[in-house]
Amino acid sequence: MNDAELDAMLNQPLPERDAGDFSVALMEAIARDRARPARILSWIMVGMLAAIIAAAGVLGAMASQRFSNPVAVPATLLLLTLVLSYSVLRSARE
Amino acid sequence: MEESALVREAAGGDVAAFSALARLHQSKVRGLLLRLTRGNHALADDLAQETFLEAWRGLARFRGDSAFASWLYRIAYSRFLMSARRRKDEQLGEWDGEAPSGEGASHARLDLERAMAKLSAPERAALTLCFALGLSNTEAAEALDMPLGTLKSHVLRGREKLKATLGDPS
Repeated sequence: MNDAELDAMLNQPLPERDAGDFSVALMEAIARDRARPARILSWIMVGMLAAIIAAAGVLGAMASQRFSNPVAVPATLLLLTLVLSYSVLRSARE
Repeated sequence: MEESALVREAAGGDVAAFSALARLHQSKVRGLLLRLTRGNHALADDLAQETFLEAWRGLARFRGDSAFASWLYRIAYSRFLMSARRRKDEQLGEWDGEAPSGEGASHARLDLERAMAKLSAPERAALTLCFALGLSNTEAAEALDMPLGTLKSHVLRGREKLKATLGDPS
């Protein structure tokens, strides 16, 4: 093989690749990448929410000692925790 | 829309513009990576996806000093090197046996790919960028992040090895 033949071989363009599936997979990866900051923020919110609710639980438990039914305040706080956590987790998934 | 306009739009967060850019360049980036990975289609496409994702994240850093394609090739090559280091398989020197897909696949091309697979990664990259992808030596050196003289040596050595492998009578 001489130089000209080798050059001709090397100069052949690379085979064309169909963009179809690759583009779809790439756009999905980009969509996931764009959603990442929102997901991280949602998890931070979940953490903060848990801390706030824990603090409220402690305060509630202290306050409930003044009420006749000691279960009422912690039960309400627990229900509130579940409802808020569920709504934050739902938004984190979206 | 012109490529420079697409780059500007994409840098501003326009996914549709980036999608158009990716469609324009995906074939060449995947072709380069297929050659670098010695015919490993799955790995080449994974690396190509990582390349475009990194380009998407780093578009704001692209100053337009070089062609957008050269910038992509630079990212692709660095991704390939990182992957080769992780996999420690760069010493394996065989094309994976499949004929290159797409139009124009032929025995001659398969012979070329098999001969290419015996070259070092910088030699494969240098020859592919300078010949099949049509970059100037300066652009290829920049894309591969190596001095111009080093690139020329890789091209020269690569050519000599190819001639020997493909049966140079002289």
